[in-house]
Amino acid sequence: MSALSPKSGSPADCAVTEGHVGLPVLDPPPTAAPDTGKTKNGEWQPYIVGFACNWCTYAGADLAGLSRMQYPPNMRLVRVPCSGRVNPQFVLRAFQKGADAVLVAGCHPGDCHYGTGNYFTRRRFLLMQRLLTFMGVDPRRFQARWISGSEAPKFRDVVTELTEQVRPLGPNRLWREVEP
Amino acid sequence: MKELHNVNVAMRTLARELLESGTVAGVYGWKKGSRPTLTSPLYIQDAAKADRLAYDQYAVSNLSALLLDHRNNDKKRAIFVKGCDSRGVVRLLQDQQITPEQVLVIGLPCPGMVDEAGSLLTKCAECRFPNPVMADQVLGGVEVSKQPSAPTGVTAEAARKVGVGSRAGERMAQVAQLEGKTAAEKEAYWAEQHDKCIRCYACRNVCPACNCRDCIFDTEKKGWVSKAATSSANAFFAITRAMHVAGRCVDCGECERVCPMDIPIMTVNRKLQQDIEALFGPYDAGVDETVVPPLGRYQTDDPEEFL
Repeated sequence: MSALSPKSGSPADCAVTEGHVGLPVLDPPPTAAPDTGKTKNGEWQPYIVGFACNWCTYAGADLAGLSRMQYPPNMRLVRVPCSGRVNPQFVLRAFQKGADAVLVAGCHPGDCHYGTGNYFTRRRFLLMQRLLTFMGVDPRRFQARWISGSEAPKFRDVVTELTEQVRPLGPNRLWREVEP
Repeated sequence: MKELHNVNVAMRTLARELLESGTVAGVYGWKKGSRPTLTSPLYIQDAAKADRLAYDQYAVSNLSALLLDHRNNDKKRAIFVKGCDSRGVVRLLQDQQITPEQVLVIGLPCPGMVDEAGSLLTKCAECRFPNPVMADQVLGGVEVSKQPSAPTGVTAEAARKVGVGSRAGERMAQVAQLEGKTAAEKEAYWAEQHDKCIRCYACRNVCPACNCRDCIFDTEKKGWVSKAATSSANAFFAITRAMHVAGRCVDCGECERVCPMDIPIMTVNRKLQQDIEALFGPYDAGVDETVVPPLGRYQTDDPEEFL
């Protein structure tokens, strides 16, 4: 055995992890929401998921970093090709996985790299925000913004503003899969 | 129902002729069920069975989604439709799930559908399109109309008497009532409704707008939604379903009717309809095939109230 497998005896031998043809790779069962409910100096910190379009907002966020701008570390950015790529399930999944707020950010209308993606985003999420409000979600927990690649200060301001808006609301418990 | 006697005879004759001549490979209609108050869907391929067809005030089932069973088959199928069902057929045509060559639509006059106790269904009292919005042929003198209209045909008088469309203006009453509640009350209300869901997917299966070949809820891909009926996964299902039919729901009310747990699914659909009308202008899904659904188009000056 040891001659065949250099890793023999390691815990990886016992569990089906990856590489087995035909067998799904299984996630470990969730034990706690990832990274949520973290405290800093004993204070609860909101966990915000941001979907950033590759061409504008992500570049804007990058510029904010390059410019050494200070903003709250509460937002986790997910880079998507276009804000039109974000579908309603992404948002719901983020809430399920422990997000306290979700931001969808993309190019300004008219500036979409693909021409029209953000116009569809605008209609879709305008409607979805109203639906979530109808289901009892605070509208501040789900927002959308247009941030261009040169608008690093706007990115900083949006993150700061969103964090401060969500902080008084407390953790989002609605639809959460696992308790923090 | 005596007004519909001749319509029933005409239905059977027409179905027999269509099948015998080979014009269609099958006919979707209704048959009398095991109880007098039950009229259930029927699909026949054999002209000898045409006499089983029946249509009365209990034929509430919308048959349009059944056309999806044959979407990969080029042969023509005939389908009998009421006003609400015809919008489902338009939905499938507009979504390019079937071609006009695959379906022969036969419009019927609607007397207003009633429940077992004989009282008019809410969806019929709130109905705005009692006449077929499209049909290749009609029976019972019903008129094809793409505008909200009063019932026509041989059952027009009966439909008027029971109050079909009499409460069309109150369609959004349930939505308005819920909107008046506080966020905490809304959350509690919907949590209660979502907790009831057993995820049987009956609402999806009966829906002409839920016509994806591969539904996200059937997908083998891991990670989207758990199969377990937890509150979180049920809410995910409910909201995803609502967003997927947003702007495309033809308002037939079948999802709510088939729900074994009595979840007010149409309230969510109506809420979306109301918002779409407020934000993007008036739109009735499944009426005019040439008008693209609101979430499939855009205007550069759309509202941006949440930005």
